[in-house]
Amino acid sequence: MSEINQDELQKIWRSVLIGVELQIPKASFATWLKYSELIDKKDGVAYVSLPNNFTKAWVENKYNKILLGGVRLIDDSTKNIKFVVKSVKPKELFEYAKTSAPTLDNSNEKQLVFAEFKIDPNTNLNPKYSLSSFVVGSSNELAYAATQGVISDIGKKYNPLFIYGGVGLGKTHLMQGAGNEIKRMYNDQIRVKYVSSEKFTSDIISGIKAKRMEDVKRKYRDIDVLIIDDIQFIAGKEKTEMEFFNTFNALYEVNKQIIISSDRPPKAIPILEERLRSRFEGGMVVDVLPPDYEMRVAIIKTKLQQKNKEIPDSVIEIIANKVRKNIRELEGIVNIILFYKEQKGLEITPALAEDIIRKNTQHTPENITPQQIIKSVANFFQILVDDLMGTCRKKEFVKPRQVAIYLLRDMLELSYPYIGELVGKKDHTTAIHSYEKVNKEINTNNDLNQKIILIKDIINKSEE
Amino acid sequence: MSFIVLRNNLKEALLITERGLGENANLPILKSLSFKINKEGVFISSTNLEIGITTNCSAKIINEDKFLIQSNIISSLIANIPSERLDIKKINNLLEVKSDNYEATIPILSPEDFPIIPEIENKNKYLEINGNIFTEALTQVVQAVQFSEIRPEISGVYLNFDLEIITLVGTDSFRLAEKKIKNTNFKTNYEEGFKCIIPLKTIQECIRIFKKNEVIKLYFDENQFLIKNNQTKLISRLIEGNFPDYKAIIPKGFETEIEVDRNEFINALKFVGSSNQLINEVKIIVHEEKKFFEIQSTERSSGKFKTIIPAKIKGKNNEIIFNWRYIIDGVKNIQNNTITFILNSNTKPALISLEDSLYLYLLMPIKQ
Repeated sequence: MSEINQDELQKIWRSVLIGVELQIPKASFATWLKYSELIDKKDGVAYVSLPNNFTKAWVENKYNKILLGGVRLIDDSTKNIKFVVKSVKPKELFEYAKTSAPTLDNSNEKQLVFAEFKIDPNTNLNPKYSLSSFVVGSSNELAYAATQGVISDIGKKYNPLFIYGGVGLGKTHLMQGAGNEIKRMYNDQIRVKYVSSEKFTSDIISGIKAKRMEDVKRKYRDIDVLIIDDIQFIAGKEKTEMEFFNTFNALYEVNKQIIISSDRPPKAIPILEERLRSRFEGGMVVDVLPPDYEMRVAIIKTKLQQKNKEIPDSVIEIIANKVRKNIRELEGIVNIILFYKEQKGLEITPALAEDIIRKNTQHTPENITPQQIIKSVANFFQILVDDLMGTCRKKEFVKPRQVAIYLLRDMLELSYPYIGELVGKKDHTTAIHSYEKVNKEINTNNDLNQKIILIKDIINKSEE
Repeated sequence: MSFIVLRNNLKEALLITERGLGENANLPILKSLSFKINKEGVFISSTNLEIGITTNCSAKIINEDKFLIQSNIISSLIANIPSERLDIKKINNLLEVKSDNYEATIPILSPEDFPIIPEIENKNKYLEINGNIFTEALTQVVQAVQFSEIRPEISGVYLNFDLEIITLVGTDSFRLAEKKIKNTNFKTNYEEGFKCIIPLKTIQECIRIFKKNEVIKLYFDENQFLIKNNQTKLISRLIEGNFPDYKAIIPKGFETEIEVDRNEFINALKFVGSSNQLINEVKIIVHEEKKFFEIQSTERSSGKFKTIIPAKIKGKNNEIIFNWRYIIDGVKNIQNNTITFILNSNTKPALISLEDSLYLYLLMPIKQ
């Protein structure tokens, strides 16, 4: 950057143009110089941008002298003018395009558009994510507050911001929302770029392949806010990690903001290079947890509001109660229920809702055995299977036992007497009591809810 | 005497350059053609400040000279003069066009006011390709492009060159066409790949001018490009911006695959489409395990049109509404007798492609 700021350059250029306007015909001025701009001035050279090569060729040949004379009147240290091509979006054209009917408009409103094309090609941000539609609750308020901090004080307060949490908990929403907010607040003055780590990797690879690595580097270093999603995927890809590390440093050193997400905290990403890990931990590390019951209700209500749809409160409660895993699943169920309501014209009763949820969330593979569940629970709590199935009422055994009962019922829908039998010849009332206790508790105890989600994951994975 | 020219040669040169003329209230000069006569020939140029076209009209040169003529005057003159051989001569600020028994004197303008057509900076690196192959490829993708002031980055054809393949892509965000040209069809001395977006109007002019069985060369700068054959060169600005990441929308799998005879498919679409000239909608109904599929009209007020077409069906049942003109645009670009039409639910893009994957065409359904 030059030492002269943009305002000053603009001022100089305006007074140069006023002088030139008097010397050449009005039509010529309008054609050739209207969109010219002084973009920099250093070492005796003034850099003037023009909208295209035709204008450049003409101005260079015809008006170089007049313009140089004009600049020298203000600053006689200028010896030379260099013209560069920089396409501008003329304001008038832009305004016009907004008000007049778009040419691209199809007469048929129902014609669908490629969804990905709604994404802003310069920032890769999807405008559908906004912070105002982000539901804040106890499980994500820290992440939300940190994001707000970043927006208000870009590059300084929390840099890098590292957000981690399981799938479908709103990390992408939060990051893209932040990007969109920054874009809006700073009127596109701040260059934001959102990339998934796959995109980053494939850019690096194609850069190497096409021998255009310099372009790739420039592309990533020429931004003010870099948002990278799912960073865990670059771990172990040496060249990408190295390039990311370099990009990270290049941006970090000049106080550019970096926002990163991952499905786990930096220290839990295996094979991530140590130097990268320590960089990540040097900023702000925040987590997002699965939403609690109240938040799930709030999320469902927000989604319905966005779609301008309604479903009865009793049904909302059932959804919030039954669908705990993540927000994406929650959204999916709401969509399916709306589909039943609108396309099939059914009245959504609590019973129907339960039925729909059961059908659509039952991803438990069929050949999971009760033994597998018991073993996984025991492993998770690091106790022996025998202790879990035993009669000891120590706290460290009782909780796993209850969880195992809950999972046997929830995942396999076994009968209570059978479950009682499985966990060491207990009475069926014990099984009922345990199931209900856990079922209730997961709505209030987030820690337990998370543990159960994790155990389910482990069980499902061991199946695969 | 300036030069002697055959009427047809001049007429052809005028036809090539006329399309590059501009409309600009501030710059009426853009409606004129520039004539430069030197030892090498008569060079006629036009520009609208987005593209510049220069063509060499073969003629017998008498004197070097240069001048501007208003395009409409010279064109109607040449169109109506029946003589084959024309003697053309500049006298002060008039031009005399003369044959055995016809004679016209028309006003000319000073050549100084004509815009300077920029030169390409990169004069060494180029792509060399047959004009027919290149313009044919452009034709296959340009249909899908529409001019949009709001989205300049898709108001043109995206060209991605990676040394081995030239990929051309056009889209209006409702459909997308991609064409690949393999390096067996072109030569290059570029050592690294590049990508750019060529404006729609430039593409249209390229197709018109360079659709000939002769070698053309393409040169690229950062913000302009040059295409030329032995006679004509066209320089154009490029569109600044990033083309959308279109690869993400190419479906990986499919729900339903239809293999159908190309001509039968086109006829069926035209028949059902003729039911209503306004909305262009047709519904495609596929049942698995059947040896045919159905195309129906959607609008009942103009009657009910339907047809059954024999086909090989794989995958599951589907019922999707499309703009039939969009389907035909894609199908027509495939010369095979059989077409593979891949459906992916009523909110996801459908795909028409060739086995060698050198051409593919994606289109979005119409909401039901």
